[in-house]
Amino acid sequence: MNMRNIHQLKRCAVAVVFAFFASGLCLAQGPTTGPVGQSTKGAVIKGKAPVNKKLLKVNLPKAEEATLPNGLRVVVLPSHKVPTFNMQMVVLSGGLADSADYRGLASFTAGLLRDGTTKRSSKEVAEQIDALGGTLASFAGLSSVTSTVSTSGLIENLDQTLDIFSDVVRNPIFPAGEVEKYKARTLAQQQFQRSSPQFLAQEQFNRAVYGDHPAALLTPPAASIKRLTSKDLTTFHSTYYRPNNAILSIVGDLTLKEVLPKIEKAFGDWQRAGVPTTTIPPVPAPTTSHILLVDRPGSVQTVLQLGNLGIERNNPDYFPLLLADRILGGGPAARLFMNLREDKGYTYGAYSNFGGTKFRGTWTSSAEVRTNVTEGAMKEFMYELKRLRDDKVSVEELENAKRAIVGGFALSLESPQTLLQNIVVQKIYDLPADYWDTFPQKVAAITVDDVQRVAQKYIDLDHLQIVAVGDASKTRDILAKYGTVEVFDAEGKPVSGGQ
Amino acid sequence: MRCVVKLSAVLFVCAFAVSQLQAQTPRNVRVNYKQTTLKNGLRVITVEDHDAPVIAIAVNYNVGSRDEREGRTGFAHLFEHMMFKGSENIGTGEHFVLVFNNGGNMNGTTSEDRTVYFEALPSNQLDLALFLEADRMRSLAITKDNLDNQRNAVQEERRLGVDNQPYGQSEEVQQGLLYDNFAYKHTVIGSMEDLNAATVDDVAQFFKTYYAPNNAVVTLVGDFNTKDAIARIKKNFESIPRQPNPPAVDMTEPEQKAERRATVDDVLARSARFDLAFKAVPGNTNDFYALQVLSNVLQGGQSSRLYQKLVKEKEQVTGVFGTMDEKRGPGALYVQATVKPGVKVADVEANIYQEIERLKKEPIADWELLKAKNSARRAFINNLQNSLSRAINLSQYAIYYNDPGLINTRLDKVNAVTKEDVQRVANQYLRETNRTVVITMPKAKAKGAAPANGQ
Repeated sequence: MNMRNIHQLKRCAVAVVFAFFASGLCLAQGPTTGPVGQSTKGAVIKGKAPVNKKLLKVNLPKAEEATLPNGLRVVVLPSHKVPTFNMQMVVLSGGLADSADYRGLASFTAGLLRDGTTKRSSKEVAEQIDALGGTLASFAGLSSVTSTVSTSGLIENLDQTLDIFSDVVRNPIFPAGEVEKYKARTLAQQQFQRSSPQFLAQEQFNRAVYGDHPAALLTPPAASIKRLTSKDLTTFHSTYYRPNNAILSIVGDLTLKEVLPKIEKAFGDWQRAGVPTTTIPPVPAPTTSHILLVDRPGSVQTVLQLGNLGIERNNPDYFPLLLADRILGGGPAARLFMNLREDKGYTYGAYSNFGGTKFRGTWTSSAEVRTNVTEGAMKEFMYELKRLRDDKVSVEELENAKRAIVGGFALSLESPQTLLQNIVVQKIYDLPADYWDTFPQKVAAITVDDVQRVAQKYIDLDHLQIVAVGDASKTRDILAKYGTVEVFDAEGKPVSGGQ
Repeated sequence: MRCVVKLSAVLFVCAFAVSQLQAQTPRNVRVNYKQTTLKNGLRVITVEDHDAPVIAIAVNYNVGSRDEREGRTGFAHLFEHMMFKGSENIGTGEHFVLVFNNGGNMNGTTSEDRTVYFEALPSNQLDLALFLEADRMRSLAITKDNLDNQRNAVQEERRLGVDNQPYGQSEEVQQGLLYDNFAYKHTVIGSMEDLNAATVDDVAQFFKTYYAPNNAVVTLVGDFNTKDAIARIKKNFESIPRQPNPPAVDMTEPEQKAERRATVDDVLARSARFDLAFKAVPGNTNDFYALQVLSNVLQGGQSSRLYQKLVKEKEQVTGVFGTMDEKRGPGALYVQATVKPGVKVADVEANIYQEIERLKKEPIADWELLKAKNSARRAFINNLQNSLSRAINLSQYAIYYNDPGLINTRLDKVNAVTKEDVQRVANQYLRETNRTVVITMPKAKAKGAAPANGQ
């Protein structure tokens, strides 16, 4: 987090914190029933405001595509509103390509990509990209399916930015001195992260859900950081960063016709090569429910996170789960927020989230609550999870959720980056070519029975994982009502005799 | 049904600004807005733009935490939360339901200097957006239940952002030390004690004083016909009665005569943090823009002087960031560094001062000036991409400076900054006697002891 963000956070308090965008692209005529009809606590619906019952039908822009002879796929979404551009090289190998004894290599490779090339030192890369007013970032997660390098800038500086960008993508040399600095910095940052209660909660939750799977890791193992060498990075880079293993996506004040000659110049002589297939490690079957309590001395809140394994991105249950999640905790109009905040005043916000990639993701519910309402908050979370399983949602509530998702397509038109990201998602996960065109119909087809079916399937109470981070002395007995409590310290280590 | 096509020179025209700094001529973005004032004093700004079937509304009230009185810190923000708890024709929580379940997005935010509420919705929900905003400006539901509920939510917001986070107290200590005038001396979130003290009468009085049409700006941007939209705005808002103008806030700060310094022991922190501030000038002044450029050179991005020195060369910190804060009253230039374990904070501090001294003695390089201007330009015009951020920016410039046109002139002001300006403001504001230093140290905590704050 940079300080601009910190300052916004510090100095501006906001009514609700959350940001989400409908993940859809194209929209057909939706239901015409009104939105009135709310079966959540915390809201009183007077129904007097003038609501237009029609869903706006919007046409979405199509991306322009090309493939270079070396296999690089190029996707361009023109957007002429402002004279800028955003560009992303999505390499179709990420943390999942790491070997089991060297988790983190993909992440280190991305992290050090800009720290020196055959043509530029780390400092020259920084000075040149900054002088153009551009941005440059690269990232790979520990269990990600991709590594991405992104840049943005002013359209009049496109050629110069592209020159630096292609240099960083193609010619990194991972100087030994930079590698050593990176290692020391990363180890220090890992200490820093442990001061965040949200980090500690996520760490335990992922461990409980994923066991030995790489998705259990939130930070690279210290052993990986220590053994890291320039040679290993070079090998990872030359193995996976290949044009035939990448998608270049561009959005901005340009067209494919204008930009393609520049792309050919920057990437045309990038050599293709055979890339090893990444084996997706299977997610272990859930064994048992755990209640994991992290004792964080000094805490005045309990961070609660409850959930189960979810689905892969291309699972057909995606659509019913999208609606179930929306109803449960997909924003301030959803059940968790209305109940835990608007009715009970336990929290600043309670939400649910689901996601998945090429392996099963999770479906979680979470909130931060003051310590002395931990018991009440647990009760309400369990109530809402059971309610979604046991009782069918009302038709009105389901139709509202559909309107929220499909209606949001209009707003997505003002976020071309989101539109382009959706197109890239379709390609990464091999979704059908008409995936986004048919998205609204698929949402519209979901029934209350579908929602209940996925609630019962994915809110698996026998294997529910519950994580709490806070003052153990005040919360252990409360959590013990739900099962055996395992206590950990802020280092992530079990506390002996913690039960 | 609408297509995304490049539209209408009327709304977004391509103008040409001559910049000596770039080989190619950059295209400027111009926002053509219309201003109207209703009979009750409500200022209205509209921008008609048919590029996307979206409307965005921002209602910006000329009130913030600077208007709070002693004993009621955090009240402006607590009040903001009350604005979502219903009004004559809207039930509690119904605002969320109506906006989100019609494909919209919304929020409200309070700072020292203003409180702004906003929604973006599909353009066929224009009437809904106007109704929601007018109904709460006219007839807020002020009840004890609503107040108690949102007092709880806000206190959790404070715990989430301050009391349960490392370095949470550091900002409060810094603000208290940096400012002498009560207006900015306290934080927006306020104290638990003062939040507890707020009453229903306070809410009613605050509403009457500050939430009057003559103390607000309504900005509407997007896919509508201007004449029709203004008629609808009048229908919804013009009958809301005007109130006497709220009292003006005294923002004067006495000159700082000596360095101010404090140390915070933080049981939740794991690394030391060094926080530095230099009190300076209000936003939209020549010196403000020069200090923005200076801040970018000093601490913007990986090419910055502090990043290169402290992160890369000396390896003393894991991160260093900062900003020149834009305020209606005196803002400040902030620097924040997270110190690596085993490194002395004093060494980090000395290196930061060395870089500051260099700014005073030597002019910045050509590429650094170019970087600051290009970065400002990219960030600013990217922010004009969607209707909602244009609406919020316009309303903010109207409230802060009575000049919504700043949206079209701001980059010229940044571009006017010279190397000499940067050196001059470095000498004028970045003085030892004008600095405020807060050092946060991790403190080991005995198990089971009472937390420092917030329970």
